[in-house]
Amino acid sequence: MPFTGQGNQSSLVYFLLIRSLLVLLALQMVGLSIFVFGFFPVKPALSGVSGPESYRSPTSPSNQNQSEKDLSSNQRRSLYQELSGIPPSFDRLILMVIDGLPAEFVLGKDGKPPCKTLMEAMPYTQSLLSTGMAVGYHAKAAPPTVTMPRLKAMVSGAIGGFLDVAFNFNTQALLDDNLLDQFFKIGWKMVMLGDETWLKLFPGLFLRHDGVSSFFVKDTVQVDQNVSRHLPNELIKHDWDLLILHYLGLDHVGHIGGRNSLLMAPKLKEMDDVVKMIHTSSILNQANNNGHTLLVVVSDHGMTENGNHGGSSYEETDSLALFIGLKSDVSDYLLSKDHTVFQVDIAPTLALLFGVPIPKNNVGVLISRTFWHLTDDQQLRALELNSWQLLRLLEAQLPGLSCGSSPYDGLIYEQGSRISKCNGSLEKVFCCLYMHAAFLHSSWMSKEVSRSTYREEYSAVVAAYHEFLRTASEWLSRRASDRPVNLLAFGIAAMLLSTLLLLGLIFFICKEVYVGEKQNPSDLKKTSWWHLDEAFCVGVILILVLSMGSSSMVEEEQYLWHFFSCTLNFLFMRKAIQSVQGGRAGKNFSLLKEKNRTGFQIGSIFMLLISGRVMRGWHQGGVNWTNLPDISKWLEQAGSDHVKSIQLFSGLLVIILSLASLFIVGSNTKFVLVVGFSSLMSGLLVILHLIKHQDSMFAPSSYSATLLVQTIYALVGTVTLGTSVALPWFTTSWIYNASSNSIFHISTSNPNELRHKSLLLELRSALFVIGWTYIVSWCLLQLVLQQPINSMPILLLLVQVLASMIYSFYSGLHHKQWVEVAAIYYLGIAGHFALGNSNSLATIDVAGAFIGISSHSTVLSGVLMFMITYASPMLVILSMVMYISVKDSSHLSFSLNLESGQILLRMLGFPCLVPLGLNSILLTAYTFILLLMRNHLFVWSVFSPKYLYVCASTICVYTGVFVVAATTIYTHLVLLLQKRMRISAHAANHKHF
Amino acid sequence: MKKKKQQKAKREAKGSAASVCAAEAFGIHLICGLGLAVAFWAARNFYSINLISNPSLTLRLIWVIECPIVILLYSHYRRNRQKCSYLKAVGRGLMGLPVGALVNAFGAIALGAPVGIKYLPKTINWSLMMSLFTVVPATSVFGSSWADWQRIFAHTKPIEPIDYMICIPAHGAIIGAWFGAWPMPLDWERPWQEWPICVTYGVIAGYLVAMVASSGFVLLRGTSQRVKGD
Repeated sequence: MPFTGQGNQSSLVYFLLIRSLLVLLALQMVGLSIFVFGFFPVKPALSGVSGPESYRSPTSPSNQNQSEKDLSSNQRRSLYQELSGIPPSFDRLILMVIDGLPAEFVLGKDGKPPCKTLMEAMPYTQSLLSTGMAVGYHAKAAPPTVTMPRLKAMVSGAIGGFLDVAFNFNTQALLDDNLLDQFFKIGWKMVMLGDETWLKLFPGLFLRHDGVSSFFVKDTVQVDQNVSRHLPNELIKHDWDLLILHYLGLDHVGHIGGRNSLLMAPKLKEMDDVVKMIHTSSILNQANNNGHTLLVVVSDHGMTENGNHGGSSYEETDSLALFIGLKSDVSDYLLSKDHTVFQVDIAPTLALLFGVPIPKNNVGVLISRTFWHLTDDQQLRALELNSWQLLRLLEAQLPGLSCGSSPYDGLIYEQGSRISKCNGSLEKVFCCLYMHAAFLHSSWMSKEVSRSTYREEYSAVVAAYHEFLRTASEWLSRRASDRPVNLLAFGIAAMLLSTLLLLGLIFFICKEVYVGEKQNPSDLKKTSWWHLDEAFCVGVILILVLSMGSSSMVEEEQYLWHFFSCTLNFLFMRKAIQSVQGGRAGKNFSLLKEKNRTGFQIGSIFMLLISGRVMRGWHQGGVNWTNLPDISKWLEQAGSDHVKSIQLFSGLLVIILSLASLFIVGSNTKFVLVVGFSSLMSGLLVILHLIKHQDSMFAPSSYSATLLVQTIYALVGTVTLGTSVALPWFTTSWIYNASSNSIFHISTSNPNELRHKSLLLELRSALFVIGWTYIVSWCLLQLVLQQPINSMPILLLLVQVLASMIYSFYSGLHHKQWVEVAAIYYLGIAGHFALGNSNSLATIDVAGAFIGISSHSTVLSGVLMFMITYASPMLVILSMVMYISVKDSSHLSFSLNLESGQILLRMLGFPCLVPLGLNSILLTAYTFILLLMRNHLFVWSVFSPKYLYVCASTICVYTGVFVVAATTIYTHLVLLLQKRMRISAHAANHKHF
Repeated sequence: MKKKKQQKAKREAKGSAASVCAAEAFGIHLICGLGLAVAFWAARNFYSINLISNPSLTLRLIWVIECPIVILLYSHYRRNRQKCSYLKAVGRGLMGLPVGALVNAFGAIALGAPVGIKYLPKTINWSLMMSLFTVVPATSVFGSSWADWQRIFAHTKPIEPIDYMICIPAHGAIIGAWFGAWPMPLDWERPWQEWPICVTYGVIAGYLVAMVASSGFVLLRGTSQRVKGD
């Protein structure tokens, strides 16, 4: 028999396909993770806070284990002073942050002073600089040049990676070791006036504060007045040690009018006046013996010509560090031309000047000119402390580094000898540089007498320390932003390969299925043409990939998806109308049915279009026009009662709709009744939850609320799992009793064909009920989890899914299957944006992630957050189970001799492969775009968050497709097993007789 | 077989409708295009407005000026001349105007056009204009003949010159509108990114290009027919 041979072969092919698919997916995952970890390096950070141990050499074993936790702040302050050997130079610190001020405005560029208008705008500051009362530096900031990461860098001395920012979006407080916490520990009182970012970073740390929001960028006056109005009072008071002023106005001026805005000069003048006020009052204080005050004027980042910031150009990274009130003579500061430091250098400088330990993860180097009022050995001590801290950090990053036991210990340096170059591995170089400096230092220390004569040797020690510090600092900061090219290339190559092979696989299945289908030659002509909808489906992907290169298209992606999915629906409508033709002329039964069928198709497309439009209007979405009115804002303004009634309405409608769809379409046998009833129960529980506890979502949730939600989780989970596991075992018993109004009625009366079809029929009806359970359970869960305002979109999503099912059922063979699957998938992504998601991390609903969780668990919250964010794509992929069942598979029974595996492949092939294929195209294309855009202005604010979303949606597609495939295969296997059992029982019965 | 069918259809068509030669088609399209130009000229010179400063009024001007031109011209080429008088065709066209506007408005709103009191006049005027470009010529010529409608709009299979003259500009206008919506989500902050300004630009561009194409098609078909006839 030729057929059996073919069958064996095809089942072989079938297993080969599955295996290669798994290999491809694994390859894609590996490529993706390699790329992600190459592109967003996660640097190992030291946990904990620097304490007294930072005044001991890291090479000497720590012998003291005293409990330092119970030190009072005063004790701690004196302990630090005693250990450090450097007397604190100042008593009070005023940190004045001018948001977005480029250092160029104050210090000029390339050794030239700034242009005349700018000089005239800041007369007082310029006079301070020219008389040597102030020292100014270009403090190079690291990208992303936006406020919060820059503030973190200034106070902790560390450069955070992007993932640090992304993964900490639920706790904005700075948890790493930083200057402010160190000051707090030694009992400083702090006052903050200005940008409320500081309050988010350091909640509860300030004695007094007046936060201003940087939300209204158009406001350039009030934001700064709100800061300055407190200033006269604060300068008189003596109860604070640290005063932070954060002026936002200049950044706003830049955002409105760019660098050359007319408002710029007056704004600079205003800042100059503030500097003048502070400086005169601190001179006054000093004269009254009220302690020395150091004024540090810094900016967090610069700005481009247009006033934007975020990227890594010179204009944006050129921030200011201006020290006013140093005690030393800085006359030679004016002579030198190189005034460039790094922004991270501010942290160790301030720490050492004020006598607190340097924060643990600092990668900065102290600015040596600010220490020139100290004696030589105090200055060397400061360098030594900084070196120790960096050495500790290096040891954490390079596990092989341990200078204490290295062979360099035994090296004997001859008098005056110098190591011209340190060679070898990284560890060796660092060790060598450090040991060299330490050796010179100790030899200098040993010459107690007449140190002043060894001026030359002193500068050699300083040079050696600086060499070590610079090398270490540069390596450490590069490590935070460095991207290994090889890894990236390998990751991309793996992803590209897997995508191409996946597409090849889809193409292969396409050919396999359609070649098998082409029974009559008239079809051949039809299928050789690309239909409009097919071409459009492919075109959508191409256009999307191209448009993702533009940052504003990434920000406003929701328009694209809605536009495309709607257009696709219109094309489907056109196609449906094409087939009306015969309906008018004929009056016989089959044509009437045909007409009926077109009517259903058009009706469901109308449902899709209308509900899609309502969902588009529900949340404005995006980034640029978020403030435009939309339905959700309108409802929220109308009051929570309206929201609640809408929520209840949608909840009830979800239940009614789903039960109706089960009992109208499916058959009402016992097991289905049980499934329906238990779903109804969980639905009623959800309604109960909505009535009772929804208001208290933001209050600390009560025990009963949590218990109720947990009951819902358990019930929904049990129903879903129970149905999908148990239902296949009961299917055969009720399929023969199925009423004829079921969609799965058998159109033929030929018993021979019936036997062949029965398995397919059983499979389809079992999958229908299971798919129904998946959809309903998911919707009910989302009703609990989503924000109250999103309950209506959930209902509309359900309507859309059911409408697509009706459409797919009636469309028959008019479409290629992959077009329908792609359309449903597009619908899911459009729904994703309709639920209020966007491509910025800000729209992730964090509050919902704690519903029904009694103890804090990162994993559970993460899973819930994922479920909330990917509600719509997941729903759509889960609905593929139902899609498989409603899709008319009569073509499969054309060739009755198909292997059962092959039938499965044909049913399952497109619903699983098409989402995977589309997703991997988007993933790979977007990876390329991210790589191309790595130096783009918005790489951190737009492209990287979008990439995280793309990665998460990949996980979503994998999970969904796995569930679909597993359910279908499991059901099929169970039914097959039962059929065999039945046959053998039948045979045994025969034998018996 | 298909060719035979087509020829048969042509023969039937010849009996019932006036055939159009290339020069006529060109002339009709030219007049329609001139109508548009007149509308813009009038908007600029009499009202001193343009599409950007006052889209609603400009759109109204366009459809008011185009309306008689399109209906009167296309009614000449009505089907079933024996049964259907010229006036009846004009009446059909006038009836088709609001109906087509409804269909177009539904399409635009479903695809994301903003809804609201502020946008209502713009949407109404825009869809009336769209109706003139897409639906009205077909209503004037075909009336309620379902088969013809389906052939033109669902299958896009024009056979006669008049079919081309209805089908191609209508599709051009719709495709132009679809592409015209593209710049709307971009953050260029230009005044013309508002609904329905850039969509209208797309419509007009698509309509003009399609009219040229339609004239070309009629010309081509005319010559090929003559060759065949010989």
